[in-house]
Amino acid sequence: MSTAPLEVEEPLTDEAIGTDRPWIVIVWNDPVNLMSYVVYVFQKLFGYSREKATQLMLQVHHEGKAAVSEGTREKAEADVSRLHAHGLWATMEHPS
Amino acid sequence: MSPQFDRRGEGIVVTLDANEIELLRTIPDEVRGALESPTAKDDPVYNRLFPSAYLDPTEESAEQEWQELVHPELLQTRLDALELVTTTLDRAVTKRGRAEVELAPEEVEAWLGVVNDARLTLGTRLGVTEDAESEAIDPSDPTAPAHAVYGWLTWFENDLVETLLG
Repeated sequence: MSTAPLEVEEPLTDEAIGTDRPWIVIVWNDPVNLMSYVVYVFQKLFGYSREKATQLMLQVHHEGKAAVSEGTREKAEADVSRLHAHGLWATMEHPS
Repeated sequence: MSPQFDRRGEGIVVTLDANEIELLRTIPDEVRGALESPTAKDDPVYNRLFPSAYLDPTEESAEQEWQELVHPELLQTRLDALELVTTTLDRAVTKRGRAEVELAPEEVEAWLGVVNDARLTLGTRLGVTEDAESEAIDPSDPTAPAHAVYGWLTWFENDLVETLLG
């Protein structure tokens, strides 16, 4: 399955290619981290409500991963390192 | 008796029995071994505690730069937390056969981080799965003692987090 490329009138600049497209921070499911702990970490690091943190934790648990934050490369790198400092398995990607 | 957590001001008072204190004293060395042994970097535990940020192989140089930037700090933060657990355990006050340790908020965070790192370390070594808690371990199994420690840490961490979440 494929989708037709978008017609673009102007030549692609760096910006158009997507340097302003956000990086996505992904947290992956793992068999050790406790559900309660993951909720606690999401609330602490991102200031999410209990409800939002719980929803993200359940998404990680049931779907194997969840996007927990997004932003510039620098912000995503900082979020990943804070998640790693708390023992969560996090990576970052730039969806194409 | 089981560990008990009570809020006191901004911090938490942890009440433990003598066996639990002794067990907790062994935990920092367990984690330190995983962080500092000469072969640490070949240990799956090390990769679990310090995963890659980028999955995309074309970002290899960004990954290296990021590792160089953050790894020393991530490692030092973990080592500092291990030290803090040891020094706070040293000031435990025994009352009626139970030991109380009063922890300031940053000390609570250190305990939580160390207990979680210890579970990641043991869990990786034991190859635990999400269903592991419901599986009975044969007492004659050589890994039974490590499974028992893992189970106790799981219980301890969950109670501590529930107290923090309030």
